[in-house]
Amino acid sequence: MTGTRFMQGLGDQKAIFLSLAAVAAALVLGLVLVAVIGVSIPDAVSAFAEGAWGSPYALAASINRSLVFALVGLGFILANRANLTNVGGEGQIAVGAIAAAGVCLYGGVAAMPLGFGFVLAMLAACVAGGVWGAIVGVLKVKAGTNEVISSLMLSFIGVWMLYGSVQSEAMLRQPMTSSSTLPESLEIPDATKLPLLTGDAGMPLHIGLPLAIVLAIVVAVVLHRTVFGLRLRAVGLNPLAARKAGIAITSSVIGVFFAAGALGGLAGSMMLQGEQYTIKAGFSSGYGFDGLVVGLLARGSVAGVIAGALLFGFIRSGGINMEMMASVPSSLVLVMQGVIIVSLAGAARWMDREGERR
Amino acid sequence: MSDMVGSAMVAVFAGSTLRLAIPLVLGATGELVSERAGVLNMSVEGMMLTGAFAGAVGAVYTGSPALGLLIGIIAVLPVALLQAFLSITLRANQVVTGIGINILVLGATTLAYREIFGGRSRAAVPGFDKWHPPLLGDIPVFGEAVFTQVWLVYLALALVALVAWTLRYTALGLAVHSAGSEPKAVDKSGLSVSAVRYGAVLFTGVLSAIGGCFLSIGDIHTFTEGMTSGAGYLAIAAVIFGNWKAGRMLLACLLFGAATALQFQLPALGIEVPNALLIMLPYLMALLAVGGLVGRQSAPAYLTQPYVR
Repeated sequence: MTGTRFMQGLGDQKAIFLSLAAVAAALVLGLVLVAVIGVSIPDAVSAFAEGAWGSPYALAASINRSLVFALVGLGFILANRANLTNVGGEGQIAVGAIAAAGVCLYGGVAAMPLGFGFVLAMLAACVAGGVWGAIVGVLKVKAGTNEVISSLMLSFIGVWMLYGSVQSEAMLRQPMTSSSTLPESLEIPDATKLPLLTGDAGMPLHIGLPLAIVLAIVVAVVLHRTVFGLRLRAVGLNPLAARKAGIAITSSVIGVFFAAGALGGLAGSMMLQGEQYTIKAGFSSGYGFDGLVVGLLARGSVAGVIAGALLFGFIRSGGINMEMMASVPSSLVLVMQGVIIVSLAGAARWMDREGERR
Repeated sequence: MSDMVGSAMVAVFAGSTLRLAIPLVLGATGELVSERAGVLNMSVEGMMLTGAFAGAVGAVYTGSPALGLLIGIIAVLPVALLQAFLSITLRANQVVTGIGINILVLGATTLAYREIFGGRSRAAVPGFDKWHPPLLGDIPVFGEAVFTQVWLVYLALALVALVAWTLRYTALGLAVHSAGSEPKAVDKSGLSVSAVRYGAVLFTGVLSAIGGCFLSIGDIHTFTEGMTSGAGYLAIAAVIFGNWKAGRMLLACLLFGAATALQFQLPALGIEVPNALLIMLPYLMALLAVGGLVGRQSAPAYLTQPYVR
């Protein structure tokens, strides 16, 4: 027992070291590219730092962004415990946001007492995302469909549903007052926006932060301390043996995809109610795919999801500011992100304990 | 008279369907080969974008679209080798490496494009002219609207036929198919599963690059940032909808091309169909197919599974 614990510790240290090395390599590459395009490195670095954590506002924006990655990542490791790969985060964010926007704008919840309006919208997003995720589980157990393929297709469908929902006034598009009215929804009522923790708009950390922390703990407990977690693990290791042992595979698989989808939907409602306040084309901004990558690189660990989510959140924020303040194209950040993903995915076999493949 | 107008519209529709389908046909034909060999290449999108970018840059610097095409094909090789090395040698997760490569390529091409062309975005690049084929090109109305296309269109159709024939009737095709369905048998027969899969991924890269070049130097004669905008994912959807068979896959590409062409044609006819519906139709069709609602699906048994001896 102590022996395996020890090996486990060593494996984790190696994984942390490799992850830091990949991030460091990407940062160095980023600096080199900044120099190549002829921007002063100190200017670029200070713009990056300013945008990532330089002010209370920037810090809060980075953390809010990380929350989205974290929720999708948590959903990913949950399904991954059963050896299932959920590539559907992007679509789950989109349908969650559609549901939340519908409830916020037309659900009559703005007038509800004690700010319950925003809670109902978040619940609606969870249900919508959960159902979107559960489709993947149903197809998996009923038709044997490869979940990577079905969840990927559902992602694209979800993204285009969101696009479609703001093209018509019969759906979520704001009333056309002139020919230049943009194809986007109305801004959601103030009562449905997420309450800020500090009550200060200069530091817009919202209630999603404590919620995400609670959910991270819940996911950790579910994975390691509950019968459901054990069942998932059994299904993942050997579905046949799990079935023989009397584990209800159908409900486990559909259930875990519902849960992963609900987390994705919640992420979408946080993007809407905590940050963007309207939905329009391109709403999900690839955050679902970033969250999937965060979940995958975390290799099943909740702490890994949190670390990865914060990393991606800060890098994204810093990159956006670098483009605005130091005219460094934000595509540079994409290059850095790509290098981190590719090198960590490639190094996964050295990071897994006992070199096992997942 | 209205017959003339009607057939002209049908011809224009058929022509643009074919034109819009060709990048998908090229990407999907490549993807078909690597999926049959067991590698889900999510990086088709990135490979196409690499081809579109390098092809355009090459055409600008050499002044020749043919050399641009060659440069586009050469430029994709490192990208394809990276995908192959990660997913075959390192046995990394195929989905995440593909997404990583797509992000990397989108960032790198956007950055490099701005560095090279600066403010001259959407600058025209030397491109291929349309080719007026003998006989077919002389058919009234249709000859001009449907068959007068850049020669890459005919190359793409020939490649589909060649790949279909190779997969079905040759030892090479059997090796590819077995690498994805019975890799142990391939190994026992003395062939290297890795070598077959490396070859398949490189082939995907080359075909995707040609598809990307068709977009930039074949069709619109310019490069725009992220110009593939999901064509690579559509190609993957076409392979799935096509049930990993070349003929049905080609049909799927044409169907997807038609859905895109309709986005432009229906408003002209005064027919209101939500644009979003037509855009999502290919993905919906692929989902229904893979969900077993359109006949039985038979994905390669070892798709996305790294091979361990």
